Amino acid sequence: MAQTPALSRRAKSGPALPTKKSKQRRAETLTGYTFLLPWLLGFIVLTAGPMVSSLYLSFTNYNLFEAPKWIGFDNYTNLFADERFLQSVKVTLTYVVFGTPTKLLAALAIAMLLNSKRRGQGFYRSAFYVPSLIGASVSIAIVWKAMFGDAGPVDQFLSFFGVGIGGWVGNPNMTMPMMILLTVWQFGAPMIIFLAGLKQVPAELYEAAEMDGAGWLKKFTSITLPMLSPVIFFNLLMETIHAFQIFASAFIISNGSGGPAGSTMFYTLYLYLRGFGDFRMGYASAMAWLLLIVIGIITLIFFKTSNNWVHYSGDEK
Amino acid sequence: MISRRNFITAIATGVAATALLSACGTSGGATGGTAENPTIVNYTWWGNDDRAERTNKAIALFNEKNPTIKVVGTFSDWAGYWQKRATEAAGGGLPDVMQWDLSYLRDYAQRNQLLDLGTAGIDLSGFDEKLLPSGKVNDKQFGIPTSTNAFAVYYDPAKLKEIGVAEPTGTWNYAEYQQFLTEAGTKSGGKYYGSTDFTGIWWMFNIWLRQNNIPAFTADGKLGFTKADLAKWWNLNKDLRGTPAIIPADKVTQLLPKSPFGSNKTVSEPTWDNFMGGYLADSGAKELKMVAVPSDDPDNLGLFLKPSMLMVASAKTKNKDAAGKFIDFMLNSPEVGQIFKTSRGVPASKTQREGTTFDGVDAQVVAYEESIAKYLSDAPEPPIVGFGTLESEFLRIQEELNFGKVTVDQAVDQWFTSAEDVIKQNA
Repeated sequence: MAQTPALSRRAKSGPALPTKKSKQRRAETLTGYTFLLPWLLGFIVLTAGPMVSSLYLSFTNYNLFEAPKWIGFDNYTNLFADERFLQSVKVTLTYVVFGTPTKLLAALAIAMLLNSKRRGQGFYRSAFYVPSLIGASVSIAIVWKAMFGDAGPVDQFLSFFGVGIGGWVGNPNMTMPMMILLTVWQFGAPMIIFLAGLKQVPAELYEAAEMDGAGWLKKFTSITLPMLSPVIFFNLLMETIHAFQIFASAFIISNGSGGPAGSTMFYTLYLYLRGFGDFRMGYASAMAWLLLIVIGIITLIFFKTSNNWVHYSGDEK
Repeated sequence: MISRRNFITAIATGVAATALLSACGTSGGATGGTAENPTIVNYTWWGNDDRAERTNKAIALFNEKNPTIKVVGTFSDWAGYWQKRATEAAGGGLPDVMQWDLSYLRDYAQRNQLLDLGTAGIDLSGFDEKLLPSGKVNDKQFGIPTSTNAFAVYYDPAKLKEIGVAEPTGTWNYAEYQQFLTEAGTKSGGKYYGSTDFTGIWWMFNIWLRQNNIPAFTADGKLGFTKADLAKWWNLNKDLRGTPAIIPADKVTQLLPKSPFGSNKTVSEPTWDNFMGGYLADSGAKELKMVAVPSDDPDNLGLFLKPSMLMVASAKTKNKDAAGKFIDFMLNSPEVGQIFKTSRGVPASKTQREGTTFDGVDAQVVAYEESIAKYLSDAPEPPIVGFGTLESEFLRIQEELNFGKVTVDQAVDQWFTSAEDVIKQNA
């Protein structure tokens, strides 16, 4: 009986149907949101809310104690007159530009080695992945600091070959190579993704190429790289974003100072020192938003240019 | 790695957790506790394991003597300590009682975060009149010193003997001091350096200013010295940098967080006299000695007793009487003195000092402070807001100087730019 009115209405006129359907849809939507509620609450309270307030704070002078004082764009304009800020930008960009490609090259090279059929391959894969699990931890930063110190293993090894540059940790010119080595050593995550990508390349492409007499290099540049390009794109994007956010290892290795002589003053470290060392939360918030915007722009550029070099299977290109 | 999201989440969580904690803290109520339902007083301090052990002993003793009050203690290291306090203050939930440092007293007192302890029933009769102003801001006693420390030049007699250099007597001017460092560095043949670059030590600079009768700050919170003064100070060691007299900056960086002296790389080091225990533990030396800092005016050594730490209470504490009672106990009780000895510095309260027996290292520290008593001038007033930043900038820029990245004049300009910015920000 309950269906009768609806049926009769449907018989009478077309537009009645959406009413019932939308009621149903509304109920479904409500159920959906109810299930999403815990996550949504977390997102609003712990992520969106603080982000909005930090956007507001970035236009104020706020020292945590007194009410924020509106100062417009002063924080943003002051940034560009701040020598330490410019230093932190320089340090971070150097790290991103040199560290990320080096890390991806290492990841790809190891992934190709691990792709061949060999006894104990499972063990090697795990062994090469381990550093990326522990690499970002505090303990590894401490180990790194000891390894690259005066008379540490690295110094002794190099001295054996007659290269006496002493400890890297205290030498402002050597801290950046050391930080880059630390990130390169954590190639595990992109390596696994490359490995998965390599497995997807159809073997018949290589067979056909061999029939045509292609050498190793030709196969690599004409088959492997194009077939891997979506994976390379993904890794490049993720690792670039990741590199901009380096904090913990720089904090530990420089003892929270960004030293020696400002050579490990990474962007996020300076942001942290400004906010929690000098209590200039407005300034720190402005830095955080500027970083977000820059990363956003870089991501956009990657996506825009990706059409030219990323080949998705099934694309007619 | 800290992503921006984690970073912001951490702040939010911190604030939320603080709110929860402070809610717990009030469970004792303001009306006074009973043995079954004691008033809870939260106490927090910074320090190493050794201090934690001693503090917990003192707290246990207090709780035993005062069954209606229960002190609950937490601690962290120095750097994390101030970040936590800042977050708590922003959330309105500072612990009832806190160990405090002179550098941060004005910041928090001026912003109405601290309780005027003059009204908390604490016995101040045992304190030196010269010392108490260092806990006062706008004539209110926001902090009370637990103990004092004074600046000294440490040296290791065994190392000096090993390299054949005579022990210093402590009556010396800067030229003689530099001569001593050069001799020690040269005679050791590369094994030891003389010292760290003492012109990079912020408090040493403050002492030098006092020796030359230049005020570090004016009454209205501006800088009391000029660029020329700072340039003169940093130029003092111009000819010593890069020689065995002074340990190079890259070596110092690698030893952090230990000091070069504690790591047995130098034969001497100027710093606070209550670091004796720490240096002995770090270096493993059998004995270390202290003498007074150099001065070009033998009648004015620029020395003073500084509160090595203070006790403060939160302005928002609901248990003012219990908090006052605990602070009084920590400051005046001879039993607390016996627990801490000189690890906090020499006890500031006469009652506590005279009730404590000092021997060994502790006796050495007390003897040093007595030996310089006739040279002491007034303790410094709580420094200007942002003092901590001025000091860290001083260290940072002087390090760049030692790395040869900047000239003295550039370094002076950089520091003044930064200092004027800090003063403007906090005015």
